[in-house]
Formats: sequence, structure tokens, C-alpha cells
Amino acid sequence: MEFDFSPVMEYWPTLLQGVGVTLLIGLAVAVMSVIGGQIVAVITLYTRKMVNWPLRFFIWLFMTTPLLLQLYFLYFGIGEWILIPAIMVGVLGLGFHYMAYNADIFIATIRSVSSGQYEASRSLGFGHLATLFYVVLPQSFNRAMPQLSNNMIIMVKDISVLSAIGIGEMVYVSQYAISVTFRPFEFYITIAVIYYLINLMMEAGQTWIERRASYRS
Amino acid sequence: MRDTTETPMVELKGVKKRFGDLEVLKGIDLRVDRGRIISIIGPSGSGKSTLLRSVNNLEVIDEGTILLDGVQVNRPDLKGLAFERHINHIRQNMGMVFQHFNLFPHLSTLENVTLAPRKLKGMNTSDARELGMDLLERVGLSDKAKAYPSALSGGQKQRVAIARALAMQPKVMLFDEATSALDPELVEEVNQVMKGLAEEHMTMLIVTHEMTFARDVSDWAMFMDGGVVVEENTPEHLFSHPDQERTQNFLRKHLGAQS
Repeated sequence: MEFDFSPVMEYWPTLLQGVGVTLLIGLAVAVMSVIGGQIVAVITLYTRKMVNWPLRFFIWLFMTTPLLLQLYFLYFGIGEWILIPAIMVGVLGLGFHYMAYNADIFIATIRSVSSGQYEASRSLGFGHLATLFYVVLPQSFNRAMPQLSNNMIIMVKDISVLSAIGIGEMVYVSQYAISVTFRPFEFYITIAVIYYLINLMMEAGQTWIERRASYRS
Repeated sequence: MRDTTETPMVELKGVKKRFGDLEVLKGIDLRVDRGRIISIIGPSGSGKSTLLRSVNNLEVIDEGTILLDGVQVNRPDLKGLAFERHINHIRQNMGMVFQHFNLFPHLSTLENVTLAPRKLKGMNTSDARELGMDLLERVGLSDKAKAYPSALSGGQKQRVAIARALAMQPKVMLFDEATSALDPELVEEVNQVMKGLAEEHMTMLIVTHEMTFARDVSDWAMFMDGGVVVEENTPEHLFSHPDQERTQNFLRKHLGAQS
């Protein structure tokens, strides 16, 4: 068996496009799932059960069903009535999926902020909302960091699932290139190496963030 | 003698507080005049911490009246947001120092001090910084302005907590066993800061286990037990010649243990 990486070189611009799409989706999903997760957690914790049950149901739904099914449902299922562009389905689907997981983390870390922190803030004259905003959420965020960044590393790998609904991320574009060049081994190896490098960068980021967050929580 | 015509800085009238069936404050009257320092001592469970926490409504009292500089603190007539606005405003005039410091771990020392004036008084960054550095200087920690609480000793944390409470320029400072969680060798640095405040005539209400400190620093001392004020007097009298047997027993145990 001979390796021939020249087709990979030939399709390098296409692959890079796929990398770009993966990274952009990753960024969008990270922002959406972290901010959304925090909002879901706050509403779940600070409102009555009667009010927040749809949210708790939402978390439960997204955590108990597979991502692929959720994507198919949003794209093809709901697509029977409204056709949502694939890229939107991809970002929303992944976003909701990880929003549920992140909300779960935030619920735990918000609860872990001690009552003394609330009392100190209240005794200075801060109200409930200001206390949440200036004291509780920043601390819960720092404490959530290790698990959050873990989730985000897993999420970036899950972006490959979006190839199933035709989004031109890394795996999808390599499939295309393979179908033309018939060199699956070389392309998959290349994609794997690129994923590995992305992971390496994210882990470096994770270590940096965790070190910063550890003495601030 | 006390000038009874002056509005007291803090006044409690017939304050009662229950936790379930347990009545922890059984009708407390207390008056703190401007610039005065009152120490409250007593065994744990006597209600002294609850009393102090009631003053800024961290504990909500069931009966009685609490006044800060003539303004009623507890307002059973106000509900929801109206009470929230009222109590936030009241609390800005009272500094509270806790046994376990409760510094904000996600903020630097300086940011801990400046958070309230910046966000609550809308003070700009440079003014807040100047105020914060002044206060840190005052508690001897200006070199730790950039440090995070996790890098400070207990005594340093408590000094920052005092600076943080002072940043809102409160009318009265409440100390809830400020040195109880400290290693013995760190108690003195916090006591020194509190003595400094006393010399500047800050009105203070101090709940403490430090009998010697209470005797040295305060103008008036109260001994609480079982939810009532058993005895109150000048510190010279209360600590040297207590009238009540319960006070005598308590002091014998505590002063004995200290010396």
C-alpha cells in the first residue's frame, strides 16, 4: 500500500474551508450554549417550579435524546412545515444540546456559592439582581470553567455530526474530496490530525483559563 | 452622661425574634449614640449574633422597632420591591463585618473595596481607585491591592473586609465576631484596625469573644444570655464587678481561659 498525500494538498483549500466552518460553528455554539445555559440555570433556580417547568423539561429532553436525532428532528421533522436552513439547524441544535448540559453545570455551581457571599453583598446595599450579577454569577462561572471547557472540547468534536444534514464542516468536505479522489485513508488521517491540533489548542486554553479561575473562586 | 435629646445612631425597641418555636430574642432594647462603641458579649446561642444581624435586617425580626439615625429599618408595612429599595438604601449606611470575612473571591483586594461605591454610588473608576487605595492604606494593605483573597491570610482578609465595609462611608459599623475565626497571632492586627476606627469616633456595635478587647475599646458593654440582656454597664464595671451571677460565671470562665 502506498500513501499519496498529493490529493490532500490539492484539496487543501477545500479542507481549510471545512476547518473554518467547524471553528465558526464552534464559536457560535460556545457563545450560545454558555450564555443560554447561564440564563436557563438562573431562571430554573430563581423562579417557581410552576413557572420554570418548561425549561426543566427542555433540559431533560435534550439530555436524554441523541444529538443526531435532535438534528434530524429539527431539520427534517420540523422541515415538513418550515424549512430552516441547515446551518441554522446545526447551530441551534448543537446550541440547545450543549445549553442543556451547561445549564446543568451552572445550576450546581450557582448553588455552591455560599450564603455568606449573598449576605456580604446584601449588607453592602446590593439588591437581589445586583448580587446575582456582580457576586454570584462571576463566581459560579469561575467554578464552572473546568467542566464548561470539557463540554466545549466534546462539542467541537460533535460538530462532525452536522455533516449528516449537509453542513460543509471538516468531515463533510473530506467526504466530498474522498468521493472525487478515492483516498479515504489520507484524508481521514489529515482530518484527525487537524482535530488533534484543535484539541491541543483548546486544552492549552483550558489550562490557562482554569489556572486563572482557580484562585478566583 | 448620655444626652438623651440627641437622635441615637442605632436604637432597638422591644425587638423579638423567633426561629420556629425557639425565641432567640426576647424583647431587646438598645441605644447606640453617635460615636459610641458598644460591645455585646455572651455565650454562644445567647442571641447576640442574631441581634447584630437584625440591625441590618439580615435576620427579619418578628416584633419591635429598629431605627438607624431616626429612620426605621424594619418596615413590616413595605412589601416586595418597595421594601427591597428601602432596605438597600438603609444598608448602604451600615457596614457589616462577618466572622468568616466573606470577601468576594473573584475580585482583587482593591476591587472588593471599590465594588460597592462604583456600582451603588456610581463613583468613577479613578475616584473609586483613590478611595480604595486610601482605605487599604488605612488597614495597612495597600501593597496587596492587586492580590486576590485566596492569597491573603485570615487577618489580612478581615482587614480588607473592614475596608470594604468602610468604602460606603457608613454611619455605623457592625462587627459579628470579627476575630473568632482567626488564628490567635492574627487577632491583634484586626483589633488594631478596629481601635483605629474607635479613635476616629466611628459608631460601632461589636459582638465579640475577646473580653480584653471589649473592655479596652468600648464605651458600654452588654452581657446577653438566653435572648435577653442580663446586664449592661460601663466596661470597667461590667468586667470587673458584674452584678449578676450569670455574668460572673461567664466572665470567670472566659477571662480565666484568656489569661
